[in-house]
Amino acid sequence: MGNKEGVMNQISRRVFGTGVLATGLVGSLVHSSRAQGEPKRGGTLVATWGGGEPQACYVPAGGGSSPTFSSSKLFERLGNRKMTGEFVGELAEEWKPAPDFKSYTVKIRKGVKFHDGKPMTVDDVIYSVSEIWKKYAAAPALSDFAGIETSGDDAVVFKFNKPTPEFFFASLLCGNVNYIVPKHVYAGTDPVTNPANNAPIGTGPWKFKEWVRGSHFEYVKNESYWRPGFPYMDRLIIRYVRDPAGRAAAIEAGEIHIGVFNPIAPPDIKRLTATGKFVATSKGYEESVWATTLECNMRNPVFAKTEVRQAMFHAIDRNLIAKTVYYGYARPGTGPIFSPNKEFFTPDTYKTGFDPKKAAALLDAAGFPKKGSAKRFTLNLLAAGWFAENGKIGSYVKQALEDVGVGINLTVPDRPSSIKRIYTDYDFDLAISNQSNPSEPVPTTTQYYTSDGIKKGIPFRNASGFHTDEVDALVEKIKIETDPAKRKAMVVEFQKIISKEAPLLPLLELESTTVASTKVQNHSNDPNYLAASWHDIWMAS
Amino acid sequence: MERFAFLGRFARNRGALAGTVIILLVAFAALSAPVFFPTDPLRMVAQPELWPGEDPAFPLGTDSLGRDMLAMLVHGARATLLIGLFASAVATLIGVSVGAAAGYFGGWIDETAMRAVELFQTIPNLIFVLTIVVILGSTLHNIVIAIGIVSWTPIARMTRAEFLALRDREFVQACRSMGMGDFGIIVREILPNALPPVIVLSSLVVAGAILFESAVSFLGLGDPNIASWGRLVGDGRELIRSSWYICAIPGVAIMVTVLCLNLIGDGLNDALNPKLRDR
Repeated sequence: MGNKEGVMNQISRRVFGTGVLATGLVGSLVHSSRAQGEPKRGGTLVATWGGGEPQACYVPAGGGSSPTFSSSKLFERLGNRKMTGEFVGELAEEWKPAPDFKSYTVKIRKGVKFHDGKPMTVDDVIYSVSEIWKKYAAAPALSDFAGIETSGDDAVVFKFNKPTPEFFFASLLCGNVNYIVPKHVYAGTDPVTNPANNAPIGTGPWKFKEWVRGSHFEYVKNESYWRPGFPYMDRLIIRYVRDPAGRAAAIEAGEIHIGVFNPIAPPDIKRLTATGKFVATSKGYEESVWATTLECNMRNPVFAKTEVRQAMFHAIDRNLIAKTVYYGYARPGTGPIFSPNKEFFTPDTYKTGFDPKKAAALLDAAGFPKKGSAKRFTLNLLAAGWFAENGKIGSYVKQALEDVGVGINLTVPDRPSSIKRIYTDYDFDLAISNQSNPSEPVPTTTQYYTSDGIKKGIPFRNASGFHTDEVDALVEKIKIETDPAKRKAMVVEFQKIISKEAPLLPLLELESTTVASTKVQNHSNDPNYLAASWHDIWMAS
Repeated sequence: MERFAFLGRFARNRGALAGTVIILLVAFAALSAPVFFPTDPLRMVAQPELWPGEDPAFPLGTDSLGRDMLAMLVHGARATLLIGLFASAVATLIGVSVGAAAGYFGGWIDETAMRAVELFQTIPNLIFVLTIVVILGSTLHNIVIAIGIVSWTPIARMTRAEFLALRDREFVQACRSMGMGDFGIIVREILPNALPPVIVLSSLVVAGAILFESAVSFLGLGDPNIASWGRLVGDGRELIRSSWYICAIPGVAIMVTVLCLNLIGDGLNDALNPKLRDR
């Protein structure tokens, strides 16, 4: 994807970080096709990502992609999702629903130790779920959570007020920052300000050693890691470089071995991979697909008619944006659920493809005819300035909509102003924003479209103001439907309704890239590689 | 006669003459932009990253989005010159008012005004401009106001110094003894005599304003609805290793314009400074 790295240092891409973000670490060893022979042990891996240093090494509420990247090497989750889509246990050995799906019994792995030598027990799990997940990391997802209790020495029972689908529950266990944290470190403190957040003690393959602010984190091998023989390498350095050109130079010089999440600009990707010493891949982002969205503010009466909203999308040539703005690292979106989502995606949605004539006809039909050179109406278009691409897309959307007779005033505010104007003041008619959703649509995806998602001041929720009783009721049913086939049918229905109503749609699904030296083996083998533990990565000499 | 002597002195500075010619050309390009490029210069019109000369229809090529570089450059000249001139006018207006009041009245007015000047001088200019633009919003006139607000201090100091030197001269005292009011003395008697060095400084503020605007646009805080040179450089920076002309062409335009404005400032200094008359 384009040069979003440039602005990444001011922004956190996963701004919400509270949803059920199904993510996975590959539990068993999956050698990539590039891996040759026996893994080499030892050595230091230097990694970076397409953004800046985090505000803290670990942020209980998520805090964006940057702390997720740094903390996910130190902490682990109960479950993980594999590339193939199946859920596997990590700190949990297995989980089972009760017949009524109102509770789940989770068996906890034995013999796992925290970095300070203390064993991980069910108490740590209960503390993490009730004090960290419920209050910070997964609050919206746990809205129907009724409590958690022990069941013997090595199991816990999650209780819910309503039936809870299995996929939803598994996704919860794999949520981006739904970690198991040590109770003996966090109990009795305010988890948000606990100093341990800047020197975390987890169960992961890497142990925190040092944070040199403004430069890097240094992690060392966890000698008593519960997966015998892992990690392969001795040290992991996470280095932060402010701009993409600097990252490209450092990767080229061999100072950085791997960069995840768009470390460098697309023209540099071509240049580096052409040498044969570097590889670029879009694998490892299946569970964290980013999209650029266009949102209609329903508070403006011109958007009262569905035809007007549809016309906005028909007027825009998304393939052109994909080609020119993202250099091909993007594809047109089709509906509220993104195409890599194996469980729920349907291509069978209302098609808002590029068709300016249809856009003009829809606007005519909606009662906004074009009279000579006068505009049909004029809109304020806000392109959120956290990614540089959004501003470029803004210029194009302005041109495209002016071609169908809609006047546009474009503004490209910086990150804080954009968040305030879109999600607090609702001061826009059309907004170009971004979102990243996990496979499980509830609540992260659905709360962009439901009335309970309209929460003034909370970023990345329903800012369009769109709500219908039909959608609200459907989402309530999706929440509690435990039959996977029926549930899928409901989510397909949801996609059809939303794509037709078009209050907010992804213009484009973005393809994130990882760039690495060809020496680095076993990378990009997890559907959310940025948030994976990297226990199995190694480097050939 | 006096006027011709002024022009002669100005033209004796060859650099200033060359600078004027080039600035006039830029101004002509700016004025004629709607004639030669009647459509919005920010429209995508061709294949992206067309090199200069590759397609005769786009002599300076296209940028990363396929927009005509020449059209953006010419329309950008409008925005750039407008911002430069108006920002300089704002700065001159504030600077002369504050400086004249401080120099003429002295006392607590002088003290207050000079402390205000120092306060403004201690704030890093670019940061101050960015802050104002972020708070007020990135529109053309907010950028003009922001640049004016940070650029007035040298003009105020210069005006004050001139007023201090002139306020007790015989002709001023004569005016006073005739019962002329303070405002009349300031505007009609002292100001015309104090103006030459201020004009030189204002011409330099135009150049500074263009640089400020370029920096603001380069950082992506410019008005997104208009083409400006700084924005072109900013948009092109990620392609600097492959399509460097996208940065280079507007960059050269900024450099040449600012250089010419400085040369004109020198020429004005030569022409207006009586001490250099017989050099």
